[in-house]
Amino acid sequence: MKPTLRQDPVLLLSLGAALLLLLVTLAAPLAAPYDPAAGSLDARLLDPGAADHLLGTDGQGRDLLSRLIWAARASLVGGLVPVLLATVLGTLLGITAGLGGRITEQALLRSLDVLYAFPGVLLAIAVATLLRPGLGATVLALSVVLTPAVARVGFTEVRRIRTAEYLEAARVSGAGAFELAVRQVLPVVAPVVLVYASSLVGLAVVYAAGLSFLGLGVAPPTAEWGAMLDELRPALLTHPWVAVQPAVVILLVSVLFNTLGERLRRRLGDSGAQLPAVAR
Amino acid sequence: MTGFLLRRVLLAVPTLLGVTVVVFATVALVPGDPLTAFLGPGAPPEARQELSERLGLERPLPVRYLGWLAHALHGDLGVSISAQRPVQELLGSALGQTLLLTGAAFLLVLTGGVLLGALGAVRPDRLPGKVCGALSTLAVSAPQYSVALLLIAVFAVRLRWLPAGGTHDVFGSGGPADLLRHLVLPAVAAALVPLGLTAKVFRAALAAVLAGELADSLRARGLSRAAVLRHCVHNASPALLTIGGLQLAYLLEGVVFVETLFAWPGIGRLLFDALSARDLPLVQGGVLLVAVAFVGINLLVDAAHAAVDPRVRG
Repeated sequence: MKPTLRQDPVLLLSLGAALLLLLVTLAAPLAAPYDPAAGSLDARLLDPGAADHLLGTDGQGRDLLSRLIWAARASLVGGLVPVLLATVLGTLLGITAGLGGRITEQALLRSLDVLYAFPGVLLAIAVATLLRPGLGATVLALSVVLTPAVARVGFTEVRRIRTAEYLEAARVSGAGAFELAVRQVLPVVAPVVLVYASSLVGLAVVYAAGLSFLGLGVAPPTAEWGAMLDELRPALLTHPWVAVQPAVVILLVSVLFNTLGERLRRRLGDSGAQLPAVAR
Repeated sequence: MTGFLLRRVLLAVPTLLGVTVVVFATVALVPGDPLTAFLGPGAPPEARQELSERLGLERPLPVRYLGWLAHALHGDLGVSISAQRPVQELLGSALGQTLLLTGAAFLLVLTGGVLLGALGAVRPDRLPGKVCGALSTLAVSAPQYSVALLLIAVFAVRLRWLPAGGTHDVFGSGGPADLLRHLVLPAVAAALVPLGLTAKVFRAALAAVLAGELADSLRARGLSRAAVLRHCVHNASPALLTIGGLQLAYLLEGVVFVETLFAWPGIGRLLFDALSARDLPLVQGGVLLVAVAFVGINLLVDAAHAAVDPRVRG
């Protein structure tokens, strides 16, 4: 027996927190107390708890709380959009590999294996160096990293059902390959892939901020959590509680999305035992 | 066993070739003038001419790729722009430090992961089990750079217990004790994600064994709780091998951040500096080295797995 939503307080709590995060992000102009780009020479590197600045200020005297709130926009886009793209592309590739015959299957699976041979951050670095630093580079690089994992989940699911009788029946009654894929296979594969993809969001947010930290993603002065990590690094030895703030925010958001993904997976009855590598 | 190994090695060859294609492409497809990308702006015309001939830029891409691959196979990865030294030399001198750091982190991963996983599996529904489960999720979710910054802030800046970076005290006596003090924080920062992952996998494996026939029969024979647990831990340990490659992947990608933040002079820090300087040959060489090492490690893990568990040889 699966617990009802009410019996899973952790899921409820994390859903609420995710909703709150989304609201604050969308309402950044209202939620942020200061202009995130406006600094003040008199108020540089204030520690958290300062009179007018709850979380303190950075090296240019900009309000940290406001910057962290505004930064959520670029950071969450950098985490969520690649997961969406990878979900669509991965499903497509997985179904193609599963239904396309032996040669297509092997060609696709072997190519995905190559991308799989890279540790995620390394592959993202390799792709992002080709592009001009920015949100676009982050999105593209992370899509390349995440797509093989989604495709594998999709393929595994297609392989499980491709000899099923109802598919055979559809084939015999004259359904074309496209019709078969869209009307018979996709409805089975999509829920599994979606649940799996939800568990990738936390990882993608962490990677996106990491790319900006490495100077390959969103660049200053745009507020973004990873770029802020790099900006605040010089203050680490003198103002440690200022410098760690973006790190703490990324950690909390990652825990939030991972808990959410894990609970969703448990509710929808996937043990998660056979899920491929990029996911945790 | 030999047949399995041979098949596995043969399967790795196309993967490795694919890896070299991707790494080659990262530089071959870089937008703009490749000569400027390699030599930096303001390079003398003779140097440009020489590099152009060396890279064979007029030749078609596949030919260039084969030339590059031949050089790489002979251990020639080109010359670093920022250091003006052969890439393989720079990588070689940094490799030892990275191996030291990942080795120390790997020890933490195994001991911590097994302990946390075992504690979680023994009493899954009681408080200790739930706490262990939550701790594993926390560890898995903790980005290496966040952990590194928090460790520095708390243990180096505030408490002053451990150094904030480097491998040796500047004015210290040096020696193993000094190195160990410098190793603690970066090793913990690098280890946390794979540690959590290990704990999760080991917990699931051990829980399955504890609920199975082996545990029942041991209990029926009157063995003590501790003895039953010992046997079951032994039986569940091959699960650690199946994710061995994955753990090393996380260690390897983590070192880019951990080494940078702790000023640890390994491959990861070298890669970060190369990225900052847009030193493409060095970036290319570093990515290639790590990716090839990763494929090799996975191969070893598979071989070890086949050695302890005959079923996977199939």
